[in-house]
Amino acid sequence: MSFWLDQALAQAELSNDCLAEHRAKSLEALRATPWPTRKTEAWRYTPLLSLDNSVIDEPNDNIDYPGSPEGVELIELFFVNGKLQSNINVAVEGLTIASLDNLNDEQQAVAKTVCQSAKPSRHLFGMVNDVLAKQGVLISVADGSDIKPIIRLVHLQNGGQSHVRHLIKLGQGAKVSVIEEYRGEQSFVATSFSEFDLGDDAVLNHYRFGLQTGAAKALAGCHFNLANRSQMHSTLVSFGSVLSRLDVDINHAGEHALATQNAIYLLADKELFDLHSNVEHMQPHGTTEENVRGIIGDSAKAVFNGRIHIHRYAQKTLAELNNRNLLLTPKAEINTKPELEIYADDVKCAHGATVAELDNKALYYLRSRGVSEQDARIMLNFGFINELIEQMPAEPLCEWLQGELRTRFGDLRTQLSVEG
Amino acid sequence: MTSKQLLTVKGLQAKVDEKDILKGLDLDVKPGEVHAIMGPNGAGKSTFGYVLSGRDGYEITGGEVVLDGKDITEMDIEERARAGLFLAFQYPVEIPGVSNLEFLKAAVDAHREAQGLEPLSSKDFLKEAREASKKVNLPAEFLKRGVNEGFSGGEKKRNEIMQMLLLKPKLCILDESDSGLDIDALQVVAEGVNSMRDGERSFIVVTHYQRLLDYIKPDYVHVLSDGKIVKSGDASLALELEAQGYSWLAEMREADPEEMHREVSE
Amino acid sequence: MTEEIDKALARKYEAGFVSAIESETFPPGLDEEVIRKISAMKNEPQWMLDWRLKAFAAWQEMETPDWAHLNFPVINYQDISYYSAPKSMADKPKSLDEVDPELLRTYEKLGIPLIEQQMLAGIAVDAVFDSVSVVTTFRDKLEEAGVIFCPISEAVHKYPELVKKYLGSVVPQKDNYFAALNCAVFTDGSFVYIPKGVRCPMELSTYFRINEQNTGQFERTLIVADEGSYVSYLEGCTAPQRDENQLHAAVVELVAMDNAEIKYSTVQNWYPGDEEGRGGIYNFVTKRGICHTNAKISWTQVETGSAITWKYPSCVLKGDNSVGEFYSVALTRGKQQADTGTKMIHLGKNTRSTIISKGISAGRSNNAYRGLVRMNPGADKARNFTQCDSLLIGDQCGAHTFPYVESRNPSAIVEHEATTSKVSDDQLFLCQQRGLDPEKAVSMIVNGFCKEVFKELPMEFAVEAGKLLEISLEGSVG
Repeated sequence: MSFWLDQALAQAELSNDCLAEHRAKSLEALRATPWPTRKTEAWRYTPLLSLDNSVIDEPNDNIDYPGSPEGVELIELFFVNGKLQSNINVAVEGLTIASLDNLNDEQQAVAKTVCQSAKPSRHLFGMVNDVLAKQGVLISVADGSDIKPIIRLVHLQNGGQSHVRHLIKLGQGAKVSVIEEYRGEQSFVATSFSEFDLGDDAVLNHYRFGLQTGAAKALAGCHFNLANRSQMHSTLVSFGSVLSRLDVDINHAGEHALATQNAIYLLADKELFDLHSNVEHMQPHGTTEENVRGIIGDSAKAVFNGRIHIHRYAQKTLAELNNRNLLLTPKAEINTKPELEIYADDVKCAHGATVAELDNKALYYLRSRGVSEQDARIMLNFGFINELIEQMPAEPLCEWLQGELRTRFGDLRTQLSVEG
Repeated sequence: MTSKQLLTVKGLQAKVDEKDILKGLDLDVKPGEVHAIMGPNGAGKSTFGYVLSGRDGYEITGGEVVLDGKDITEMDIEERARAGLFLAFQYPVEIPGVSNLEFLKAAVDAHREAQGLEPLSSKDFLKEAREASKKVNLPAEFLKRGVNEGFSGGEKKRNEIMQMLLLKPKLCILDESDSGLDIDALQVVAEGVNSMRDGERSFIVVTHYQRLLDYIKPDYVHVLSDGKIVKSGDASLALELEAQGYSWLAEMREADPEEMHREVSE
Repeated sequence: MTEEIDKALARKYEAGFVSAIESETFPPGLDEEVIRKISAMKNEPQWMLDWRLKAFAAWQEMETPDWAHLNFPVINYQDISYYSAPKSMADKPKSLDEVDPELLRTYEKLGIPLIEQQMLAGIAVDAVFDSVSVVTTFRDKLEEAGVIFCPISEAVHKYPELVKKYLGSVVPQKDNYFAALNCAVFTDGSFVYIPKGVRCPMELSTYFRINEQNTGQFERTLIVADEGSYVSYLEGCTAPQRDENQLHAAVVELVAMDNAEIKYSTVQNWYPGDEEGRGGIYNFVTKRGICHTNAKISWTQVETGSAITWKYPSCVLKGDNSVGEFYSVALTRGKQQADTGTKMIHLGKNTRSTIISKGISAGRSNNAYRGLVRMNPGADKARNFTQCDSLLIGDQCGAHTFPYVESRNPSAIVEHEATTSKVSDDQLFLCQQRGLDPEKAVSMIVNGFCKEVFKELPMEFAVEAGKLLEISLEGSVG
């Protein structure tokens, strides 16, 4: 058992809010769940020792806000150390955003249906978040509404513990874009889980930028339910930290749904990042395309587990998953496991995983034009990641993110330029 | 015969994967000249360009290569490029995620740095790049795309010529730049090349067919076979080859290897 | 269309007969006494008994692994008999003439004549029947070349130094639950030693037959290829058709010294159980080889039998420039379950491995590939390529892929690809339009799917494997 978990649960108050039942259920399940060890498949490569062994910094609200992407209309909400910073004041037709601690009856009813609908119960820290998260927002998009501004949820943390839960519901044919952004370098613990419930024909553009580094202990999840003909396009960008874990679940609960997900991790120092992705094709004619790429430097460690599960009834599914990794140094480490579990015969599924060096032909081409080997390597490494960034649907976001990534690449510069 | 040489290749031998491909190749190129190298498949035409450019895996086992008075055989790939050698590839590689513009600026700046010049301002560079893309008939939006990413065969070739225009090399080697091109695209390539002929810049045009030479008039034509130049002549030789094909080479080898040798030394 | 394919697949198990052989069989049960008795039956030296007892003690502390994608009831190890041998073998027949003709007939029926004149030239056979080796052919000829090929029970006596040195050196006693059990109770199997620089003049082959009811077979194979030597080894297995499950837990260890090469091929055709999943062999096998400098180990397997297959022939690429290969076809139908694959552990520089796995699932079976490719920090410039393809026939089966890739070397390259497909209606239509019946068409398509693996098998085995997959058996339709 974990000292951290005991302490965290000791603070659990089963207050009488609308999610109380959910909390109680998870608390019970959590108590019956053994604390993971190296033999627990889901935690095989990711030790949780730092939760018990490290000192947590004192949080303070004196924190720098990051710049905003330009050239795009945003609705921005800031969470500092797990607390929403200002009142929500949104006047966009068809869009409701409300703080979880301040829901009206109607909103409570929505929250109840979305909570734990997309997130499976097996995620350990998901259960912790179920029990402890009191902060977060409910976003509800009315049937047929196309929300133009991008909703940006910025989370800044410099100490302490935070538990944030976002519940997002898209009505039939609704369209919305949501950015989840997480930052912080100090020692803190954050569980951050989001659930997205897409109605028939809904379209979601989703971005999750997990830009914490250093001593952060970030345990997170993004979970999606897709109804008939709904579409989601998700981009995940993650830096590592002493402990970073992201669980993603995509459930094809309706027919003809489409999910594309691009994920990037860029790790340095002694960072760890662990991405567990799970796609459930439960209905026919679903399509999933997942591209996951990582660059791992210093003595960082990346873990990727990508599972595609095609249920017996899910005929005519198309599912592809690809994971590519570049190791920059002799101490960097990647553990990847793409899994297929298939019970339907008329499907097309493929996965691939590579750990490789830069493309020698491309390197030669660049050098034959006079670019130094060092610069060519950096360019190719950046290109490897950038290829996925450029697929993001909002161009201003691409430019903004490229800036963020260039800073990160600047930190990795010497390693990127050296032959592995 | 002026004494000044741009490129001197003497007795060049090279191997790829432990196999000897070039077996004593000689070639002299003076400033401003256009040389065509023709020959059958497998003669070593593409290898010649790769060896000159310094590609890994193409190992020089004998002979010398002097470009503009400097021995380049020990230089890195990029040093040779900055020294003025440009190879236009037959099959340019696609590099998704790296934008053409970013790549071109890095290349141009690297060349300028080697010449002791300041990097171009982004504005000036963009202007030059746009002009160059216009010249080769590539829409400016191609500059923003990944290097060669999703380009058609013809677009890739034009992109190569555009790079040539921007980098202003002393010696351009065109490796089968005509392959897979329709007449319009061929003309664009040829115009790009011709516009760069200034009496100083030299060209080596490697090609299997005579077609491209209708548009880029060579001063000399060489026949490469089994890793050596076996015959040299003026532009009329290309027409002759077009009419005869390359089968005579095999006959010649079979008939009398000695005779072939004599012809080389002529 | 699926129905036709199912019919085509519903072939008969031809090796399902029982031989009327009088055997001496231990009563079911497992304790230290049983192990002492096995050791005594084999007249083993003390060191061998001690080794067994140590493994037994370890096994008792261990738990059945539960990570595989398999579903089977708890095995009661006290219900199994751990030793069974034909009575006629008690006097240790000196030559083939003294061997019980019924035993010889059994092998003949299986297509393995043990009389040298009748055999395919170029294959030496060790025939293991339940817990003992019946005969090993062509031993004289092999001895001329300095090759040792004999039952492992004999090697314990004749070549104790070699056995002591290598037994358990690749698969340690406590490696896993089933390996530990095997170490404690193994009965027979083959021992091969190829001296330095020798290219083994014949294919070596062991044919395993389970006959007796309620017995487990626990064979042990050890192959040592000394520096610069070469050997190709084949292994086949069958068992009678019975309604009870029987346990088979083998251990195979391969040692390829510097510049040596071992090619190990298996055609596994244990009784798979019936369409309803009654009976069949539980096949839990640990196979592993170690490659020293410039050495090569190549595993080829065609797995069509067994109710449960749990098997991961692996390579430890210890020496620089060493090579590991794994080529596998696994066909499951009825209610068969297979969880099979390989581990390639790259330790040395420039080590290379190739994995080609073809899984075919039909009926209500489940077929999983499970693999591990690990690039250790010292594995500079190491390379792995893995291709896993699954073919599903019908919508009641499952095909699964669980590849683990772990890399800690920036210059190492790992490539893993997996695809899944079905026998498409278009393919079938084309074949039928050209005049083939659906059974032949399916068989052709399946064979084409497996081609990359079949070409790795020695010729004689390729024919047998082809036959096993030759799904169009007369009388199987209608």
